[in-house]
Amino acid sequence: MPFFSSAFARRTVTLLFLGVLALLLIVVAAGWLTARTSAHTAEVIRERDVRMVAGTIQTALLDAETGQRGFLITAENRYLEPYANALPAVREGLATLRGLYAQHDRGDERLDQLKTAVEQKLSELAETVDLAKTGRRDEALAVVKSDRGKAAMDRIRATLGGLISEAEDRVTERLADLNRASNLLLWVAGLGALLIVVFAAGAAWVVIQYTAELVAAQHQLQVANASLEERVAERTTSLTRANDEIQRFAYIVSHDLRSPLVNIMGFTSELEVGAEALKRYIGGDEQQADKARVAALEDIPEAIRFIRASTERMDGLINAILKLSREGRRDLNPEPIDLVKLFAATAASVKHQLDEANATLTVPDRAPIIVSDRLALEQIVNNVVDNAVKYLARDRPGRITIGVTQSPGRIGIAISDNGRGIAEQDRERIFELFRRAGTQDRPGEGIGLAHVRALARRLGGDISVGSELGRGSTFRIDLPARLHAKDSRLHSEVTK
Amino acid sequence: MTARPVSIVMIEDDEGHARLIERNIRRAGVNNEITSFRNGTDGLNYLLGADGSGEESAQRSMLILLDLNLPDMTGVDILVKVKANQHTKRSPVIILTTTDDEREIKRCYDLGANVYITKPVNYESFANAIQQLGLFLSVMQVPVTD
Repeated sequence: MPFFSSAFARRTVTLLFLGVLALLLIVVAAGWLTARTSAHTAEVIRERDVRMVAGTIQTALLDAETGQRGFLITAENRYLEPYANALPAVREGLATLRGLYAQHDRGDERLDQLKTAVEQKLSELAETVDLAKTGRRDEALAVVKSDRGKAAMDRIRATLGGLISEAEDRVTERLADLNRASNLLLWVAGLGALLIVVFAAGAAWVVIQYTAELVAAQHQLQVANASLEERVAERTTSLTRANDEIQRFAYIVSHDLRSPLVNIMGFTSELEVGAEALKRYIGGDEQQADKARVAALEDIPEAIRFIRASTERMDGLINAILKLSREGRRDLNPEPIDLVKLFAATAASVKHQLDEANATLTVPDRAPIIVSDRLALEQIVNNVVDNAVKYLARDRPGRITIGVTQSPGRIGIAISDNGRGIAEQDRERIFELFRRAGTQDRPGEGIGLAHVRALARRLGGDISVGSELGRGSTFRIDLPARLHAKDSRLHSEVTK
Repeated sequence: MTARPVSIVMIEDDEGHARLIERNIRRAGVNNEITSFRNGTDGLNYLLGADGSGEESAQRSMLILLDLNLPDMTGVDILVKVKANQHTKRSPVIILTTTDDEREIKRCYDLGANVYITKPVNYESFANAIQQLGLFLSVMQVPVTD
C-alpha cells in the first residue's frame, strides 16, 4: 500500500499542515504587532521630545525675559547673561521642533504662529535691551509697558501649552495602543498555541488510533496464522489418516487375494501329482493302482473342489473391492433429509428379521433435518442396524435404539443394541476390510463396517464404537449438519 | 519321540491352506496327529478349555502352528494367551503366515513365538518350506506340559 494513499498518512499530513499554518499565523501576527509596537514606541519617543523641546523653548524664553528684566532694572551687564545664553537655545529649540514636526503634516500653521510670536518677543527683547544699552532706559520701559512683549509671550505660552497637551494626549493614546497591541499579541499567541496543541493532540490521536489498528491487525494476523497452522495440522492429520488407510487397505487386499492364489496353485500341483499317478496306471504300471485309485477318488476331486472354492472366494473379494471403489467415486448429492422418515424406512426394511429374532427397534419421533447424501446415509444406517440385528445375544430379547443428538454444525446418530458386544481389541479391527470379530456363526464377508466408515468419512464425519462385551454396543455416527458439495469433492480426492 | 506322541495343533482359517500344509508335512514323513481349527475361538477353546484355565492341556505334548490373520481375532491374541498360561507356555509356537511385516515379526518373537515362517506366495516355495518345516518337526524335541 503506497504511503500517501492510506487514510492515516492523509490525516497526519493534514494535521501537520494545519499546525504549521497556525505557527505561521502566529509568526506573521507577532511580526505585524511588533512592527506596530515599534512604530508606536517611536511616536511616543517623538511626542516626548516635542514636549521636552516645547518646555525648553518656554524656559529659554523665560530666561531671556528674566535677563532683560534684570538688565532693565539694574543696568548691569551681568544681568544680561541669561538673556544672551537663552537666545541660541530658543532658536535651536525652534529648529528641533520644526524637525520633529517635519515627519508629519500637522502643526505647521501653529509652528509658524509660534515662530512669529517668538520673533516678536525676541525683537521686543532686543529693542528694549538695545535702548537700555544706549541709556534710553525710559524708552525701553515704555516698550515693556506697551505689553507688546507680554502679548507675544502669552501667545507663545498658549501655543506651546497646546502642543504639549496635544503631545501628552498622543502619548496616552499610543500607550493605550501599545497596551492593546500587546494584549492582541498575547491572544494571538494563546490562540495559536491552543491550535497547535489541538492539532498535535489530533495527530497524536490519529497515531495512537493507527497504532492500535496496527496492533489489532497484527493480532488478527497472529490468530489467522495460528488457525492456519491448526488447519494445516488438521489437514495433515486427515491426509496421514487417509494415507494409513490406503496402506492398510493395500496390505489387506494383497494379503487376502494371495491366500486363494496359494490354494489355486497348490491344488493345481496336487492335480498334476494325481494326474501323473493316473497316467502311469493307465500306461500299464499295475503297481500304481492304489495311488491311482486314491488320486481319482480323493485327491483330484478334492483339488478341484479347493480350486473352485478359492476361485469363487477370489471373485468375491475382487467384486467387494470393486464395489467399494465404485462407492468411493460416486458423486455425492447433498439434499435436505428428514431423519425420522429415513429411520422409519430402515425399520421397515429389517422388520422381518426383527420379528424372527424377537427384537424391537426404537426410532426417535423428532429429529433435525440434515443436509447430506441420501444414499450414503441410508447405507450407513442400514448397515449398522443390520449388524445390530445380526449379532443380537440369543439369551435375551433384542432391543435396538436409534438416538439423535445435535451440536452446532454437527449431528450425531447413536445406534445402540443390547447384543453380544465387541471385545476391546476388536473395536478398531471391525472397521477394517475383510475383518470380523467374535463368534463366526453368521454369514458375512467383513465388508459392511469398512464400507460404512469410508462413507461416513466421505460425508465429512466419522463412525466410532463403544461397547461392553456381552452387554451391547453403541455405534456413534458423527456427521456435519450441512454437507457442502465441495467438501465431498475434496474428501473424495483424498480417499481416491 | 517320547511315549506320548506329539500332537500338532493347527489354527488356520483357510481350509485349503490347512490341507496343503497337512499334505506337505506328511510328505516330509511326519505322521503325528494334526488337529486343525478354522478360527481363533475354537482353537483357544481347545488349547485353554472353555474356562480359559488351560487345565485341559496339562500333560499334553503339543506343537502349535498358528496363522496370524484369523477372521475373529489375530494370531497374536492367541500367542499372548498361550504364552501367559502356565500349562501351555512351554509348547512351541510356530507362526506360519503371509505377513512379512518386520514389526509384526519382532512383535511375535518378543511375545514368545519360537519360529516365524512367512508363507511363500509361490506354491513351489510354499510346498518346499512346509516340507522343510516337516523335517524340522521330525527332529524337534517337544516338552510335555505341566
